[in-house]
Amino acid sequence: ERRSSSLQHKSLFSCVTGQKQPQHHEKWSLSPEEFEIWDRVYRIKEGDGVKEPVLPRSQFETLENLEEVPKQQEEARQELSLSEWSIWQNHPLPTSTVDHSDRCYHFIGIMELIELLRHEQGDCSYDLEMQPHLQTEDVHVRRKKSHLATSSSL
Amino acid sequence: VSLQRLKAAVHYTVGCLCEDVAEDKAMQFSKQSIAAISEVTFRQCETFAKDLEMFARHAKRSTVTTEDVKLLARRSSSLLKYITQKSEELAASNMEQKEKKKKKSGAAKGRRISEEQEAAVTESEDSNMA
Repeated sequence: ERRSSSLQHKSLFSCVTGQKQPQHHEKWSLSPEEFEIWDRVYRIKEGDGVKEPVLPRSQFETLENLEEVPKQQEEARQELSLSEWSIWQNHPLPTSTVDHSDRCYHFIGIMELIELLRHEQGDCSYDLEMQPHLQTEDVHVRRKKSHLATSSSL
Repeated sequence: VSLQRLKAAVHYTVGCLCEDVAEDKAMQFSKQSIAAISEVTFRQCETFAKDLEMFARHAKRSTVTTEDVKLLARRSSSLLKYITQKSEELAASNMEQKEKKKKKSGAAKGRRISEEQEAAVTESEDSNMA
């Protein structure tokens, strides 16, 4: 986690902003001194026993996918999961300086709903709650095709 | 219109779409998973609406246009391409309808007729959307 290395971050930060090496300030890249620190403290190397973290790529099941997935050795990479800890997601997690967004609260609300629905068998409470409010003029009513539950009430 | 009524309409439509997918992929959706997708869709509408309003305002407009809608799809080039394609198709068919309307209302005068045509155009636009 980022915060765990914040002390080291600070020392690196003071290296970057400090008065020691003003000649490197204008460059976008690391100075030799900064590179040395990065290489020693942060860089993931083969012997570390840590896989390189990568973010999952977006893929559309229903569309032609334009973005090419780069073929890399899978074993050396750890794809960061956004679903592994889903049971932790039905309440807002602590914040530091950035508040949760509306979108984030919607996500939490849906995870709460899923948690409630998870234990249901057969009839769905959401379904039963919605049925009396449906007005046929709001929707494209279709002839019944299959035995799917949602259309059985219409 | 009550929120519950809107939710119910979304829920019904999501159910229909899931039915299509279920048939296409030969797999079943539980009622609970359809309910969850409905709630996601309903809440996503709020996010979309707020973003669209802000995008339009950012361009000093009070009317949301297709350009704002395309911005919603900016994170994925696949999605953006699909939306842009649909937008072009819609624009082309709207032009076609307008041409037709012009020709017809030129020939037939009278308010009632042009109103009926208006209704017909709206209806075919709706079916284009579907």
